[in-house]
Amino acid sequence: MSTTTETEIPLRQRVAENPQPALIWAAVGAVLIGVELGAILQVVGAVAGVVVNLIPGDPGASAVQSLQAAFDAIPTLVSRDVIPNQGYWDGTGYENTFLGLSPAVAWAIRVVFVYAYAFAVLAWAWNGYKRFRRHYRRVDWTPRDDVVNRFRGHSWGKFGLIIVITFVVMAVFAPALGPTTMEQNILQPYDYEVSYWSEDTQSVETVLVGEANLGSGSQGAGDENVAPMTYDDFGRFHPFGTATNGKDLFTQVVFGARISLTIAVVAMGIAGLIGLGLAMITAYYKGLADLATVLVSDSIQALPVIMVLILMLVIFQNTWVRELYDGAVLIILIFSIVYWPFIWRSIRGPALQVSEQDWIDAAKSFGQTPTQVMRKHMAPYVFSYMLIYASLSLGGIIISVAGLSYLGLGITAPTPEWGRLIANGQQYVASPSWHISLVPGLLITLVVTGLNAFGDGIRDAIDPQADTGDEAAATGGGA
Amino acid sequence: MSTTSTEEERSTEARGDTILEVNDLKTYYEDGGFLGSNPVKAVDGVSFDIQRGETLGLVGESGCGKSTLGRTLMRLEEATAGEVKLNGTDITTLSGSDLKQFRKDVQMVFQDPDSSLNERMTVGEIVREPLDVHDWKTPSERRERVRELLETVGLQEQHYYRYPHQFSGGQRQRIGIARALALEPEFIILDEPVSALDVSVQAKILNLLEDLQNEFGLTYLFIAHDLAVVRHICDRVAVMYLGNMMEIGPADEMFDQPANPYTHALLSSIPEPDPTIERDRITLRGTPPSPRDPPAGCPFSTRCPVKIRPSAYRDMDTDLWERIEVFREVLRERSRADPSLSDRVRKLLGRESHRAGMDEIIPELFGELDVPSDVMSHIREAADYAENDDEDAARAYLREEFGSVCDHERPDQLSVGNRGRLSLCHRHEPEYEEPAAVFETLVQ
Ligand code: SF4
Repeated sequence: MSTTTETEIPLRQRVAENPQPALIWAAVGAVLIGVELGAILQVVGAVAGVVVNLIPGDPGASAVQSLQAAFDAIPTLVSRDVIPNQGYWDGTGYENTFLGLSPAVAWAIRVVFVYAYAFAVLAWAWNGYKRFRRHYRRVDWTPRDDVVNRFRGHSWGKFGLIIVITFVVMAVFAPALGPTTMEQNILQPYDYEVSYWSEDTQSVETVLVGEANLGSGSQGAGDENVAPMTYDDFGRFHPFGTATNGKDLFTQVVFGARISLTIAVVAMGIAGLIGLGLAMITAYYKGLADLATVLVSDSIQALPVIMVLILMLVIFQNTWVRELYDGAVLIILIFSIVYWPFIWRSIRGPALQVSEQDWIDAAKSFGQTPTQVMRKHMAPYVFSYMLIYASLSLGGIIISVAGLSYLGLGITAPTPEWGRLIANGQQYVASPSWHISLVPGLLITLVVTGLNAFGDGIRDAIDPQADTGDEAAATGGGA
Repeated sequence: MSTTSTEEERSTEARGDTILEVNDLKTYYEDGGFLGSNPVKAVDGVSFDIQRGETLGLVGESGCGKSTLGRTLMRLEEATAGEVKLNGTDITTLSGSDLKQFRKDVQMVFQDPDSSLNERMTVGEIVREPLDVHDWKTPSERRERVRELLETVGLQEQHYYRYPHQFSGGQRQRIGIARALALEPEFIILDEPVSALDVSVQAKILNLLEDLQNEFGLTYLFIAHDLAVVRHICDRVAVMYLGNMMEIGPADEMFDQPANPYTHALLSSIPEPDPTIERDRITLRGTPPSPRDPPAGCPFSTRCPVKIRPSAYRDMDTDLWERIEVFREVLRERSRADPSLSDRVRKLLGRESHRAGMDEIIPELFGELDVPSDVMSHIREAADYAENDDEDAARAYLREEFGSVCDHERPDQLSVGNRGRLSLCHRHEPEYEEPAAVFETLVQ
């Protein structure tokens, strides 16, 4: 039959036969990636740095450093250099800002640019998937298409996804988003200077950033407050105002997003993998394996999470583990250990259910190995459930990390963290400096809501009956 | 009909080339949860063999153990005792590469085509998986083979890249059959392969199975609860009840002249396809006993309509005898059901148990009958035991008094006729009347 040859063609050949859609897509991709190549290479350099850091003796550390420096030098489109906002008023106009615009406008343009670029990349990726589906995929329908289509029709889930993307972009592009940099404003303020227009002398003067910070803290009183969307006395624009010590709040918030999201995602990823792996084993072998896991997970779940965290952090207070990445590694480890039983519990039901399907017996009957049965015939059905529960509990981790930092445990200063910002501004919530606590607090609420909405969206997408009947609501609650 | 004991006769009898031989196979489950509780005796000592190229039907009510038997033959359940010889090798103890080879030789087609195909895989991947597992030739030859198989079972090769969701039940079952054929097995277990399908599709699938059998010289074990289907496709039929094989023999002979009382009952429960033929219905009373606690004698003895009576009661009125059997059944049910907590509290308080008292049951059962006084005294004796919540003693008493060889001794598989038919019933022993003859008298 004629179809015999058609179905055998490898992807490359299918593309070659109808190259236009793929070429257009690739060309757009090349442009999008090209303008940010420097940033991408910087990420590669950073990852290399982490790897080198983890290897004892730090072999090749200097090579990696020179590599990083080289990558840093490559100009990128979405960067501080292209759209600078840290300029000053010289009496007649703005110096050193983008097109001579005010620092606030220049900063706003850069933020819009960053988000426009990020969403363009996502749109490009989505378009690539659609092109593949339309022009090159061998099957014209897969069960996953239905899930994707159902999610696309789920406004609440899409809202959640957009919120989540917004925060991820915030974390990824943190260095480009801040009106100032971590290095200048937060970590080494006494190594840098800023120029500003002095009303008293009617001339441009310079001051150390550290000193400028001292004069622009938000401590409640009327003249000691830099509110959101205002300039301080040194002509610096603060989208979210300043913290008590005069450091820029927005910069701290976007870098805080990095820390919070990284901890939450990595910890949840590890917990999810452990939970999924154990769910496969316990559902396949049942009996003793299941019983042992129930015992272990029950014991872990019986412990109050926050207590364990505090205890562990205190125990490891002065050890090298506590030092790694400002304490993030230790927090991630603890959260993974504390959270896997929750994930395992949540997906145990679906895992057992799929293990009862006849196709498992069929696979066993022709001699498929247990690992393959779990991987091919069970895991795909349980994975999406894991995703739901992982996204629903990510928020919990973010809140817990903030809580720990609030208590002075979590992430060590000066690395910015939302919880510590909240603690920092707590005594001023009823004063004009309310923004210090409120802004990070609102952001936490927003990202947690977004994650929950996203989780709901996935659940309804994989389980279309779930949003119609109470019976399904009961499953969702009980599972 | 001739009735002789048969153990040797069966093994010496040459009926051709035996592919599968099952000897005293037992599969018990210990999954009761409570330590020390009786295991479920799903398959309780079954022996039979299957000849190369034939189709053996395995029938019985749901829960009789036929599926467990099939799964044990597939090594999806572990046998508790006994042996299963495939081409002379006992497969219950295989492991490693021998087990893998066995997995190639024996395949299974499952009942529910919705559940037996992984719906996240394409049809091609599904049918190909057995070939991948056994590293069959090269990947491109495997793809070629899958396409051939799809054609063989009546699908099209462009279905390779479709998902099971896109097919009807009958087509999905064809996919399952293609998967079972992939490794060129010699023996296929068909676990109710058509019972989940529309009647209109059933015949097509059955025809396909027959064609495949002729084409590839396959041997089938056809598990079914639908006797009409079995009659259509099977050479021989085995009837299971409560983990035991009650009767096995050539299909036509068995359908025309059932030997075993259980087969009689089972056959009379199916509607006669030809409405002009009058068949007398025998309705079975009660439900099968729990496979955790099967009867000591014949597995069918609690429900058998033609159970042998002890000589003292052979002339007793049929209705009365029937009621005594019902009474025993009631006691059996009661001893199976745990007394409820409130019953226990009542007993501790010295009050009467709330369960239907014997003073209600006895008049209900025996009220309108003319019961001889000696029989009545036995009944009262048993009722007294039961009244004191000692059903076991009551049952033992009745068993002693009214029990016969059917209650005490497990019957052997006795040969019936001269075409290798075996039936598990004392009535084939020379000193008793044949079941068929007794049924005759019953339905008059
Ligand atoms: S042995 Fe007795 S109880 Fe069992 S089938 Fe035969 S007659 Fe019935």
